Amino acid sequence: MQLRHHETRFVSVRRRAIMAAAATMLTAAAAFPTVGLAADGGRPVVVARDMDLNSLDPARAFCDTCQIYLSSVYDRLVDLSSDNKSIVPMLAKEWSANDDATVITFKLDPNAKFSDGSQVEAKDVKWTLERLKNIKGGIAYILDNVKSIETPDAGTVVVTLTAPNSEFVGSLTAPYAGIINSDVVAEHGGDAGEDASTKDTAEQWLLANSAGAGPFVLESYSPSHELRLKRNDNYWGKKPAVGEFIFLQSKDAVSQTQLLESGSADIAMQVDPTTAKNITNENIVVETKPSFNMVYLAISPGAKNLPHALDAKIREAIASAIDYDGIIDLTVDGKATRLAAPIPNGFPGGGVGEPIKYDVEKAKALMQEAGVPDGFTLNATYPNVNQYGVDYTLMMQKIQQDLAEINIKLELAPVEFSVWREKVNGDGIPLTAVFFAPDYYGSSQYAQYFAMMDGTVWYKRAGGKSDPTLANAETPKLLAEALAAPADKSSELFGKLAGVMANDHVILPILSPDAVFASRKGIGGLRFSACCNMVLSDITAE
Amino acid sequence: MTQYVFRRLISIPLLLLGVATVAFFLSHFTQADPLSALVSERQMNNPEVVAAAKQRWGLDRSLPEQYVIYIKNLVTGDLGVSFRTRRPVLTDIAERLPATLELVIFAMLFGTISGVALGVLASRFQDRPLDYFARFVALFGSTVPVFWSGLLLLYLFTVKFGWIPGPGRLDARADPPPFMTGLLTVDSLAAGQFGSFLNALHHLVLPSFVLGWSVTGIISRLVRASMLDALGQDYILAARAKGAGGARTLLRHALPNAMIPTLTIIGYSFAYLITGAVLTEAVFGWPGIGSYAVDSARTLDYPAIIGVSLIGASAFLLANLVTDVAYAYANPRIRLE
Repeated sequence: MQLRHHETRFVSVRRRAIMAAAATMLTAAAAFPTVGLAADGGRPVVVARDMDLNSLDPARAFCDTCQIYLSSVYDRLVDLSSDNKSIVPMLAKEWSANDDATVITFKLDPNAKFSDGSQVEAKDVKWTLERLKNIKGGIAYILDNVKSIETPDAGTVVVTLTAPNSEFVGSLTAPYAGIINSDVVAEHGGDAGEDASTKDTAEQWLLANSAGAGPFVLESYSPSHELRLKRNDNYWGKKPAVGEFIFLQSKDAVSQTQLLESGSADIAMQVDPTTAKNITNENIVVETKPSFNMVYLAISPGAKNLPHALDAKIREAIASAIDYDGIIDLTVDGKATRLAAPIPNGFPGGGVGEPIKYDVEKAKALMQEAGVPDGFTLNATYPNVNQYGVDYTLMMQKIQQDLAEINIKLELAPVEFSVWREKVNGDGIPLTAVFFAPDYYGSSQYAQYFAMMDGTVWYKRAGGKSDPTLANAETPKLLAEALAAPADKSSELFGKLAGVMANDHVILPILSPDAVFASRKGIGGLRFSACCNMVLSDITAE
Repeated sequence: MTQYVFRRLISIPLLLLGVATVAFFLSHFTQADPLSALVSERQMNNPEVVAAAKQRWGLDRSLPEQYVIYIKNLVTGDLGVSFRTRRPVLTDIAERLPATLELVIFAMLFGTISGVALGVLASRFQDRPLDYFARFVALFGSTVPVFWSGLLLLYLFTVKFGWIPGPGRLDARADPPPFMTGLLTVDSLAAGQFGSFLNALHHLVLPSFVLGWSVTGIISRLVRASMLDALGQDYILAARAKGAGGARTLLRHALPNAMIPTLTIIGYSFAYLITGAVLTEAVFGWPGIGSYAVDSARTLDYPAIIGVSLIGASAFLLANLVTDVAYAYANPRIRLE
């Protein structure tokens, strides 16, 4: 069939019409800019990150992204300076403690204001800390030994502790201790009473609103998708340089790099060193900075159905048979430091002594002494994650190879984190790997979590309940002394405590990975904070 | 027909109750710690904290009690509160479902149009290079895993050439349109934000291509087979005898008849894509129901897991019903009773 002349013309006209429409659309695309501007006219800074946010309520949240959000929105009484060890004023312009560090008095800065313009008062501090303690979520443990909080006047807060704690002020640098505007949150269901864990209903409101005195306020939040913060126009301190931050959910290093390379993001926060090495785009800057995060192996002598008792000799043999430097090279391309004990370098008592040496002959000799030269098989269930740039499966495969040298055969079982938690808190896992990030600057949190003494998480998991011989009598004594001592002495005592924890060979620090910040050229002020992860108010953008 | 549709509609709540029951017990029998999103690692040794969390989230009650409470709430439209996002599951789903629907609609449009076109061409040029090409494309589309093709295409078109924007539904810096339907293309047009419309459309290109490609394969093979069958029928011979040209015979006579079985596949594919968009959403950072389901499963977020199961089941039930009705309309020989 042939097209008649008018049909040919019609087709031609139609084709032209389609082309014209396409051209119009393209022109329109150029004429209708889609890029939004921050309130001050500056371009919002987009951060690509796998957001692990579980709440935006300071009393209930606990996660790495929570640290960034909360420290940006809720100023605390005290802050950690950029040297990552000095406690500096924030809402409290000064503080003092009695001789035995059981009564601490904070004087509030009279200029401090919440984002709604109202004054930060002592009653807000008391309400916030009591709410944090009574909701029993997040990191309520930092207030476990608080006996009372008094407010003699609107600008003074007096905290009385049940026992001396020289790290108490430092623990208040934790973003979770951010001070809340009590009047506003109480209006929306907030409760600080003793039964706050069931009565407080403010969490829903706090997922869509913020009520702090920090440099930023919450603009919007869509879980696992996007978090928007804008500059607090009423901020009482130094105004941040960036007007708006947009956190964009991006699951892995490859996606984050793609967002960065395509210009859709300005900062990528979880690009591992191996991926970073392959970035060739000259407009992208990659910086690595030491972090205080820790990747560690844990041995549980009390785990059920062990093929052989994991006594001190065998634990030391395992610790000596691991090629730590090899793991660092393999998993994070050498971008990590080794730790001598489960307290990070730079923290009180951290970095004291030498990390255990990789010595296969010594490990074999220890296995011989323990009466098991032929070894045995151990279950090694671990969370199947890529945390702080470390692929856990890769790391565990390397450890499996290392331990095979001393005839310990590891049965690797990667599982989801929730499954791992059920197992490790249930029957126990003979040998596992997991990670730790500090909540604040202070070493007591490490002792209270890792040390072999009654009441710690890993004492229970290691089987301390069924085998009290695991407990180290020296540990609680050293901890109490360290908490009661002045700073210099305290650091020395924490150093001793670190040595005791290292010699238990229950917690084996594998590495402390460097934090990798990949950003477009023109982004400045990126740093890793021991309390707050990344400090948004320090960031600049050209 | 009305009676048939009515009967099917009233059976849906019962089927959903069954799905909710199975999802409830399956997720509760999983050997995992539901407190992992509720109680921090550091607080796990504090029995008071663990007890307070269990009480707040109803995990201190017996399983049958939890089940009865859940079903009672479900009947009133309350799907519970997510452990992970701490928001009502219904709110989460309402926020994320439009993203998945928009992706699936565009994927279906691409899959159907390209599948039908390839199927028709393959039948017209049977056993010739174009037929082999169409079959190869179909085979490739239905066998290549999404995580591979997705990442490869993202690398090529986003990183290497810079033609297509990166992951997500809209540039983070773009102005999102005011919420009306949740479908960004529709909402931006309705709000007169033409720039945002094009931006959203641009973001849809790769994920809908990757997701729709699997449907292209299924539809093109079916259309090809149905077309070959139809082209061998007497009415085609009659049409040709009456002087109908090749294109007219193909498109006006054979295709409508070949499309009847294809309708069924299109209906099922729609439901399949809604529940199967998980990987595509993960690769393209698409904030839809699929990625929500994965994150919920990882943290053993019971309320969210059951909520997503109900959405998936509803999609299948409704797609089946619509497909059956459409099939009956398209083929007068079918009677629904």
